[in-house]
Amino acid sequence: MISLRQVQKRFGRVVAVRGVSLDIPQGQIVGILGPNGAGKTTTVRMIAAAIPPTKGSVEVAGLDAVGRSLEVRRKMGYMPESAPLYREMRVRDFLRYRAGLFGLTGKRRAEAVARAAGQCQLENVMHRRCAELSKGYRQRTGLASVLLHDPEVLILDEPTSGLDPSQIAETRSLIKGLAGRRTMLIVSHILHEVEKSCDRIILFAAGQVQADGAPEDLIRQLPGSEQYTIEARGQRSAADIFRTLPRIEHAESTALPDGWERCTITFARGTPDRREHIARAAAEASLLVRELHARVSTLEDVYLSLVASAFIPPPPLPAGEVAESARPEGASSPAPSGGGGRVREAGGGEGP
Amino acid sequence: MTIFRIAARETVSYFRSSIGWVAIALYLLLSGFWIAFAALRPGEPATLRAFFGVSQWILLIVAPAISMRLIADEKRTGTFEALITAPVSDWQIVVGKYLGAVAFFIAMLLPTLAYVGLLELVSDPDYGPILAGYLGLILVGMLYLSVGLLTSAITENQIVSLLATVFFFILLELLSTTGGRWLGPPFDEALFPLSIFLRIADLAKGVIDTAHIAVFLAASAWFVVLTVVVVESRRWR
Repeated sequence: MISLRQVQKRFGRVVAVRGVSLDIPQGQIVGILGPNGAGKTTTVRMIAAAIPPTKGSVEVAGLDAVGRSLEVRRKMGYMPESAPLYREMRVRDFLRYRAGLFGLTGKRRAEAVARAAGQCQLENVMHRRCAELSKGYRQRTGLASVLLHDPEVLILDEPTSGLDPSQIAETRSLIKGLAGRRTMLIVSHILHEVEKSCDRIILFAAGQVQADGAPEDLIRQLPGSEQYTIEARGQRSAADIFRTLPRIEHAESTALPDGWERCTITFARGTPDRREHIARAAAEASLLVRELHARVSTLEDVYLSLVASAFIPPPPLPAGEVAESARPEGASSPAPSGGGGRVREAGGGEGP
Repeated sequence: MTIFRIAARETVSYFRSSIGWVAIALYLLLSGFWIAFAALRPGEPATLRAFFGVSQWILLIVAPAISMRLIADEKRTGTFEALITAPVSDWQIVVGKYLGAVAFFIAMLLPTLAYVGLLELVSDPDYGPILAGYLGLILVGMLYLSVGLLTSAITENQIVSLLATVFFFILLELLSTTGGRWLGPPFDEALFPLSIFLRIADLAKGVIDTAHIAVFLAASAWFVVLTVVVVESRRWR
């Protein structure tokens, strides 16, 4: 449905996106994560045909986003960050105006406005001016305005930005209801939200894709994701007992003031749940256990680990060489999709 | 059709925002004072020449105040992003916005027809110069708005857009008239035709010269095209 090939975007001397390649199939809900300035909004703006890439190609439904940008935009619903509206317009007039821009007139326009308003539960505020709306309703109005032409691709840039927790929950359930056959790209800083509502996560940092895959795959591949903490007391040191377990990488004990010890053990990446093995080893060694805790890695760990590794400072450049050439142009992104996620090696390959 | 949708939204938005009403009020107030104290006096000729003369100065502030929000405000509030991701070309956006502003500008002139009625009540005016004068006001307004549209596309700051437009026309006037007089022949022959106010003065006298009309229309179209180029420049910058 969406295909990016070696896409690069420069703004003057600044390279915002560096050789990104992606394939997003129809119906997939993709979360696009990354810190500010990572290139995620620039990438979705290129997909939305708002700006062309400096190099490479962007295709939506087989159409070139540069050469056939108007056709691409007809298939697209793009809600920019903070859902901008014309403050002086009434919600109904705003939706009618937007429907008109997408070529809907007469009865089709009236039906489209009624349908989008119904989907976003705007019926009660249709007569109100956009300036009078709460943030939640403003967000819904922005969402309704991109649903009017029933787009095949929906791009939502920070759809829950600035909302309170209840409004976030409402917007999230609304977005979930919009999925189905539609391809959705959700740009967000809120990791929890993306993890819950997306099939796939693409993590941007320094203008490149740092990780791409299902949330659980990305978490599984994170080093240290199989870590356990045990508080125990016995004749022998807990660390000595657990060091004998298969696939163990690290075991360390710390004495606690109350006479117990806290032992932290880490297994090799990809090791399945080891709690039962730990409990059995403790029982066999007559080790009294008061707590066994499996530390489950989260998307936040993946995010922080990859973002941190993407920003390792570059080495000094030879005289006359421009800063952006520190990273090879056209450096390809990890594999687009598929079963297992792909994570760029920390600070490696593409890094300086 | 899309152009007219954009134009209609733009025109209506002026009437729903304070800037539209402030522009109308400012123009009518200042031009009304001029009519009351300069034109409607015993012994004065039954013309609106004084009104047309002062209007070009008042409009030098009022027209850029109308145009300053056209693109700058959309960029500031983010609605421009939503507009350029709709299936609308850049020239449709620019021309639509320009026509919307021109339509509001003409609507702003309509109440001044009361001055014509007033003149008719107290004297027997010649309608030729009045029609030519209104044509001149519309043409100069279109030119002011086209330059204002361009500055509004260049900056996101509405005040910068207003000031840049005003300074552009003041500089143009100084260069063409004062500069022409100071340099003398043969430069004055090249510089005087650049003066907007000399052309308007001709129209206010009732002289409908097609050269004047062509210059105003061509210059306005040129600035609108420049605005399209500026808006499109995001694609190759």
